[in-house]
Amino acid sequence: MLLLEHDAKTLLAEHGIPVPDGFIVKKGAPVPEPSCPPPWMVKAQVPVGGRGKSGAIKKVVALSGLSTTVAHVLELRVRSFKVDECLIEQAIADAEEYYVSLSIDPNRCGVAVILSSEGGVDIEAQPKDKLAVGFAPLSLESLQEEIRRLAVTLPASTRETIGDAAEKLARVFMSSDLALLEINPLLSLPDGTWIAGDAKIIFDENALSRQPFMENLLAARDTAYPADSFKHTHGFDFIVLDPAGEVGLITTGAGLTMKVIDELNAENVTPFNFCDIRSGMMRGDPARLKLVLSQISEGPQVKAILVNIFAGITNLGEFAQLLIEAVRTADGPRVPFVTRLIGNAAEDAARILHESDLPFLVENDLDAAIAKVVDLAHGSEADNA
Amino acid sequence: MLDKILSGNSVRVLVQGATGRTARRHISMMQGHGTNIVAGVSLRSDVTDIDGIPVFSSCGDAVAESGAEVSVIMVPPDAVLAAVEDAVTAGIKLMVAVTEGVPTHDAIRAVALTRDQGATLIGPTTPGLVMPGKLKLGFLPEACIRPGPLAVIARSGTLSYELSYRLAERGIGQSFWVGAGGDPVKGTRFADFVPPLKQHGDTSALLVIGEIGGTDEEDFAAALLSHNFGKPVFALLAGSSAPEGVTMGHAGALVHGKSGTLASKTAALENAGVSVYTRIRDVVEAVQSALPRQND
Repeated sequence: MLLLEHDAKTLLAEHGIPVPDGFIVKKGAPVPEPSCPPPWMVKAQVPVGGRGKSGAIKKVVALSGLSTTVAHVLELRVRSFKVDECLIEQAIADAEEYYVSLSIDPNRCGVAVILSSEGGVDIEAQPKDKLAVGFAPLSLESLQEEIRRLAVTLPASTRETIGDAAEKLARVFMSSDLALLEINPLLSLPDGTWIAGDAKIIFDENALSRQPFMENLLAARDTAYPADSFKHTHGFDFIVLDPAGEVGLITTGAGLTMKVIDELNAENVTPFNFCDIRSGMMRGDPARLKLVLSQISEGPQVKAILVNIFAGITNLGEFAQLLIEAVRTADGPRVPFVTRLIGNAAEDAARILHESDLPFLVENDLDAAIAKVVDLAHGSEADNA
Repeated sequence: MLDKILSGNSVRVLVQGATGRTARRHISMMQGHGTNIVAGVSLRSDVTDIDGIPVFSSCGDAVAESGAEVSVIMVPPDAVLAAVEDAVTAGIKLMVAVTEGVPTHDAIRAVALTRDQGATLIGPTTPGLVMPGKLKLGFLPEACIRPGPLAVIARSGTLSYELSYRLAERGIGQSFWVGAGGDPVKGTRFADFVPPLKQHGDTSALLVIGEIGGTDEEDFAAALLSHNFGKPVFALLAGSSAPEGVTMGHAGALVHGKSGTLASKTAALENAGVSVYTRIRDVVEAVQSALPRQND
């Protein structure tokens, strides 16, 4: 889970890493006067890079310009992300910009370490001789040793600052189950101190149960992380892909669902959601299906629902009963369901769905099911034209 | 140990986390597929056997008593690292960790440990592997399994179910099928399967099921070239329409960088002579036309 900058800095501050004074302003809320003197930075909080180039980071030199700039940034869209909140923080003057990152290297099975005395710009555009690149096994001692080794290759004037910062950051990386910790720029001040100007942190959500700080953060900031929050609360994935999507998905398996989404897009049909419902975890309770149906009913353009379940163990006859019960009782969308169920007791499921008086269109082949959903999505458009 | 499995020889299998509700069901299904399960390991002290399979409190005891060589790990996510340590210490040479949601730092440590000890870890987050009709480690669905000439290696379990099911329906079965694992950190990556599958006489073609994110497909392509693989390879890639910054359940599909895109994977694979597809029906047709249909 990629933390928004403000949350990343809150985590760092919790571990004693210096960060600029700052606070969050949400869309529609009044802009309080910052307690620190101007200038300030106004930074859109979106989980994607390239904010500076998109005009989503602005400097404000006087209080008179603050509200206008905040309002402007809150109207932006950065790549596919709508800006819902921005961070207002103290602008740091007279700083040199360095770079530090620690990231999990899944191939080499350890941590990649990168230090540079030339931070602040796109790190990939740096000439290789400006970067000190190393690798360490996943342990604090190994990381700190590697950081000290790399620091020696940096200009003498920056060595101590970057080395000190990196060693402190290594502690956070290890103790907080991080997959990425990148500080760019790391701001080095004339008095010899340093401060994290920006922070990109990917937290490993598989470690949530042993990271109470992150668990609390997710609970307090559920609207900023809707997909992670949903998964943590309900135990399965449901992500709205496009609020104007035409097809709702009730599907199992992340990879197969991803491919179904690819196939629908290739037919110019926009799925409303991604879903990995984990039919094996339902244990005879339609609650999960009802929840998904009510989520899908939020999509005003949804014209059909595709149910694709590939079950190794789940009894599909029981699943069909649960689906019928959920459709009858949930406050779900009144659209046709195309079902394609493969696995244990698939024949029972097909018969049960056929015999119900609900709008189930039963298919055995995924391509045929997708074709039917595509027809329903396109056909309704033609009716409206 | 993977070579021994590929050669079709019988191996002695233990199951860690054997007393769990799901594990019990999987044990009987694995046995139904010919797997020789000789022991279980569980932290529960009140269970000494499951349907006649002796249950021990550690892999060390289980190996000493049963001669197990291979382990299927079915413990909760937070217990996987300890389970791998237990198995490796007991001398187990191949582990299949089906567990989903293992913390990444634990997975890194588990993989590093198995590499240091010369053992092989498959997974975590894998449905396992199958030698059709001979051996099943994990829970690949029976409806998709059929003996044949095609090796299947996949990051996504469910997408491989769909492909194997469709090909099996059309008379094309598997010589070997493995889920390499859906997480970014995995014990055995696509590239690691290239040398053993090159040697595997029963494999005449390879289907690789990849997805965006990471560099597994790119590294696999490099391995095909460096090992001069010499058998036809087909690839299906998922995630051509994945939104940026959303992990979509598979951490493996995390796309935050420039590498790991569909374009970079397609280019690397095509450069290694792989036929690359993004639609299921296209790759099914291609495999079908390249391989002879088997008679039932």
